[in-house]
Amino acid sequence: MILSLYGAWQKNCGGAFPPKFKAPRQVWVSNMDTVEEEKLGLIDLHPEVFAERPRVDIIHENVRWQQLYRHVSYANTKMRYEVRGGGKKPRQQKGSGRSRHGSIRSPIWRGGGIVHGPRSPTPYFYMLGFNTRLNGLRSTLSAKLAQDDLHIVDSLDIPTDDPSYLEKLVEERGWGPAVLFVDDNDIMPLNITAASDSHGHYNLMPVYGLNVYSMLKHHTLVLTLAAVERLEERLLFHLNRNDAASAGQKYRLDSV
Amino acid sequence: MASVAARSFVFRQQMNTRRFDFASCLKIKSFYSSYSANPKEKSPENYTQYHEVSSDNWKFVERLKPPTVVPSFPKNGSCFSDWTPPPDTPPNLPYFVKRTKNFMVPVYLNFEAVRNQRKITMVKHIEGDIWALEKAIKSHLEEVTKRQVVSQVHEVAMYIKFRGDYVLHVKKWLLNAGF
Repeated sequence: MILSLYGAWQKNCGGAFPPKFKAPRQVWVSNMDTVEEEKLGLIDLHPEVFAERPRVDIIHENVRWQQLYRHVSYANTKMRYEVRGGGKKPRQQKGSGRSRHGSIRSPIWRGGGIVHGPRSPTPYFYMLGFNTRLNGLRSTLSAKLAQDDLHIVDSLDIPTDDPSYLEKLVEERGWGPAVLFVDDNDIMPLNITAASDSHGHYNLMPVYGLNVYSMLKHHTLVLTLAAVERLEERLLFHLNRNDAASAGQKYRLDSV
Repeated sequence: MASVAARSFVFRQQMNTRRFDFASCLKIKSFYSSYSANPKEKSPENYTQYHEVSSDNWKFVERLKPPTVVPSFPKNGSCFSDWTPPPDTPPNLPYFVKRTKNFMVPVYLNFEAVRNQRKITMVKHIEGDIWALEKAIKSHLEEVTKRQVVSQVHEVAMYIKFRGDYVLHVKKWLLNAGF
């Protein structure tokens, strides 16, 4: 059985369908019912999404952005007007023979204020460009597929909610220590939710939460068929849209 | 309109000591601080009429909105501009230059300010043997312009830059090559 996503490609591609000069990547579809892997069929993955040259610099930019955009630095130092004291002129301007000063808390004094120190709270929010984020996802997915860390399953239904079932399954199939299961729906089946709950390294995620950092943090990425269809449809839409500038308009820091 | 006139008439009756001109009495909208002080909604005949139209008429609105995804070009018929559609089969070459999402040839003119503005011709969306493509285009440009052409090959981002404004030459070469 060869499964095909040509319908989804055609709807959203415009110029990118059919992928003429890059061959679609064929991947096995496995099951989650048994510990041993059973191959259910083959699927074609769109080369624009899964067969791009991985741009390591773009991946790095995405990881840096994901770590930094929500970071707020709470470090604080007091400036000369905030340090206690220092309102009075220490001695008169002339006559003492010593240097002239206006305040004992000026920055040149010991115990004085800090001029250009950290000021709490300092946000580090910035928005990475639309295409950089898009290409980050494409590069990471392509790298995962090329490095044999991407697997497709039909669905995330497992027979028991025993945590050891997942352990044995991952061990048997040679999937990495950390596995990220991605499905289209954000409410996952009960069994896999219970089984992966005790393990911090088996994580469930809906497609809309897929991001470069999580994909790199987990060794193996497991997508369901529905997730692959949704992912390709969305990424191909974003690759072929002409109004991407309006998508990032609300995050522009310099415009109101 | 009747309600406004009625309100202004009441206002005049209450304040008969001072004289007001017509503009100050005509209050179209007032913001009251409490619910009970607000005038209550009247029956529909006091307000402007409206009628519902069929929801099939939405197609007249939709066709005015620009498409977000570029639709595919018509297969037959010639274009009056000098745009040519991309061919169905790729040329038998070790490299490939993909069209943009708007089916345009990806050659751009950049102005890179290095003291004086420098014109740079950039070719993007290159796949395959980028060095062979650079050699081919460079030899063509040097033949056409009869002067040396300086180029930069960026293997990671897969683009080639030529120093100078050779956009039309490069586009023509790419179209002739079958991209």
